[in-house]
Amino acid sequence: MTDHTCAREQDVVSAVLSRRWHMANDDLKRHADDCESCREVVAVASLLSAEQDRVRSEVRVPAAGQVWWRAAVRARLEAAHAAARPLTWLHGIAGACALGLAVAVAGMAWPTMRDIAAWLATQVLGVDSGLGDVAVLMGAAIQKSLPLAFIVAAFIVLAPVALYFALSDDGGR
Amino acid sequence: MRELALTDMERAGAFEDAERTFQMTEDAFRVFYEQTARPIWLYLARTTGDDRLADDLLQETYYRFLRTRTTFESDDHRRHYLFRIATNLVRDQWRRARTDAVDLGGPEVSEARDDHEVGDRALGRIDVTRALEQLKPRERSLLWLAYAQGFSHEEIAAQLGLRTGSLKALLFRARRRLVAVLGDRYRSGGRHD
Repeated sequence: MTDHTCAREQDVVSAVLSRRWHMANDDLKRHADDCESCREVVAVASLLSAEQDRVRSEVRVPAAGQVWWRAAVRARLEAAHAAARPLTWLHGIAGACALGLAVAVAGMAWPTMRDIAAWLATQVLGVDSGLGDVAVLMGAAIQKSLPLAFIVAAFIVLAPVALYFALSDDGGR
Repeated sequence: MRELALTDMERAGAFEDAERTFQMTEDAFRVFYEQTARPIWLYLARTTGDDRLADDLLQETYYRFLRTRTTFESDDHRRHYLFRIATNLVRDQWRRARTDAVDLGGPEVSEARDDHEVGDRALGRIDVTRALEQLKPRERSLLWLAYAQGFSHEEIAAQLGLRTGSLKALLFRARRRLVAVLGDRYRSGGRHD
């Protein structure tokens, strides 16, 4: 016997759990009588196995089909979640690309826009645009056309919101 | 972000997918489930001390089992693996309970139950469930696997992630505690009622 467990414990447990303790060989029974550890093992294993037998018939577990079905639905749902994850990343990357493209296009079109602004300033506001100072020209334009400035500001604020609702999956529902 | 939900058609499709996703067919699962569901439920119920929680953990145990890619060498191997999943789930529950500062096997519970225990003994009836509830969760698990399921020390040690030597010591202590809780009637071996 070790400090904690008798070497024959497994034999004793097997005999008790097979419901054949009363038929166990005399040697094992004699050993269990003499060995304090095995005596306890017989007591505890008898008690727990009897409890298991008693309750087992009363236990109401869900039907196998129900467990299978729930597992199948959950697996499908998890697969859908997993599939949606890379799509979310793709949306983010596409958005970033679109933004970069817009900035590039704006950069390329900037000289043309400056010329148009200068021409408009000369034609509409009567300001000399020889210096080409667009900021000054725009400032003058805004000062002279405050309603237009309000409309542009409102558009800048509301456009992303409108875009969000337009592109949202549940938008309008 | 949009919540994912399955339509009725998708649910029907899930049933067909399951045969490919899971590691066994539905028919094989039915047979295996009939053999194992009750012992697993009992193990979960006795180690958590909560029948409703046992219902939830039972479903989770079989779900994880069905999703595993492990190759099983025998029915015993499959059964042990199932108990291992159940043990891990119970252990997660202990950890959660500890985080919530609720010690299921703490002295408060034991003291609160003492009066009932004395009454039960006076009536000559031993409530095993109540006795187990006075032990620590790990002790319940050890005792049930060893003495109700008949798992070997090596198998239990593998399930709980312990060395066999440590397991023997822990099992010995758990057994002593249960015997102490049960009282003298069971000290001398066998049931006397």
